[in-house]
Amino acid sequence: MVVKPKVAIYWLGGCGGCDEAIVDLNEAILHVANAVEIVLWPVAMDFKYSSIEKMNDNEITLSIIHGNVRNSEHAEMANLLRRKSQLVLSFGACANYGGTPALANFRSKSDIFNWVYRDSPTVVNPKGVFPQTISETNGKTLTLPEFYEHVYALNQVIDVDYYLPGCPPPPDLIVNAVSAVLSGKLPPKGTTLSPHMAMCDACERNKTKPFKLEIKEVKRIHEVDMDNETCFLAKGVICMGPATRSGCGNTCVSTNTPCRGCFGPVSHACDSGAKFLSAIASLLQADSDDQVEQVVDTVVDPAGYFYRFTQAASILHKFDENTNRRCP
Amino acid sequence: MDEYSPKIICFKCNFGWGYLDDKKEINAVMKSTVPVTCSGKVDSTHILTALKEGADGVLVLGCSQGECHFQDGNYQTGKKILLIKKVLTSFGIEPERVRMVFSVDPDGIKVPLEIEEMRNEISSLGPINIGKCAMAS
Repeated sequence: MVVKPKVAIYWLGGCGGCDEAIVDLNEAILHVANAVEIVLWPVAMDFKYSSIEKMNDNEITLSIIHGNVRNSEHAEMANLLRRKSQLVLSFGACANYGGTPALANFRSKSDIFNWVYRDSPTVVNPKGVFPQTISETNGKTLTLPEFYEHVYALNQVIDVDYYLPGCPPPPDLIVNAVSAVLSGKLPPKGTTLSPHMAMCDACERNKTKPFKLEIKEVKRIHEVDMDNETCFLAKGVICMGPATRSGCGNTCVSTNTPCRGCFGPVSHACDSGAKFLSAIASLLQADSDDQVEQVVDTVVDPAGYFYRFTQAASILHKFDENTNRRCP
Repeated sequence: MDEYSPKIICFKCNFGWGYLDDKKEINAVMKSTVPVTCSGKVDSTHILTALKEGADGVLVLGCSQGECHFQDGNYQTGKKILLIKKVLTSFGIEPERVRMVFSVDPDGIKVPLEIEEMRNEISSLGPINIGKCAMAS
């Protein structure tokens, strides 16, 4: 009997859309399923964590992990899969850069708990009950994972071999990534498995970009009469294309939605939010010096917009050895 | 314990600030001064990295408005600074920690004075706390 490579697919702090993207491979997933033995995929099949714990180290050929690390259960499973796997693929925006859930890093844990369990208008909690990691009930001890102070990208918790960006990653890149692993034709460790150029280079709307782009007032998408061809920035609508990696298949821009930046920074850039900040700043134009601040103020919530998917991997919040921003 | 003194990183345009001065002398006095060919060369990643690596404040010295040697580099970075201040606020970092001054000082005499002035003004903020959340209760 031929021994098939073992593959695990697991979700941490995410919405499950990445699992959906794998299912969206349609018939192609049958070929993948024939070529490998899936040992863990909670969203689609029934497995026990204990069976993974019993496996030998490096027994799993590839672990596809999506979602960020928000609590101790996520960290435990990420570490377990890292130990049991030869290769770990960080899959999707949440695993790669924190994703939209990492916008919670703009708030503290206590702020989040107070809102969710006490202050939100729909909450009735007269006893002020807050979730505890350990609680005693009827002589039994109940435990919950610890909710961390911070949302972490996967590579801030475990060593990652390859990255596949996107919210979620598109089917063609998923097939390419899995095929590369199965065929053994792998690029150097640490490679992001998508094209290197910026989104603008792959955008059809680029043709309509004027020679000199000037934005005198930033507009929201519903405030402009948008057609299917014009560059969003030319209309004053913020589009993260200049600072975002391409490869998504232009699904947003082809449906009249500006790029939100889910593919993260282009290669050699470490912080797409900061890079986009520089880009948009140079496009803002005021009629006079005393109106500069007024024009800049038309950018609503710049941090939330520029770091929509990448807050956890931003220069200011990313993990490094010189700081104490280490996952517990 | 020594009195706290904020660490200031200063990016200084070479065309407007201290181009007549003795570079060795000025650099010896101000070890955290980074001479740049134009203040427009200062990218947001430079400023954020300086703060991340331990600077309590970042000062950018650019030419007076309309006097940039490269047309409008100072104007471009001025807009970056305004946006960075807003972004820093969301990250829980006081916007006063980043400042830009538009002026011309060929002798560079004002450079240490500007640094000292910023140091004094942000000393009440204390050391930078990158991990702090903007809305922390």
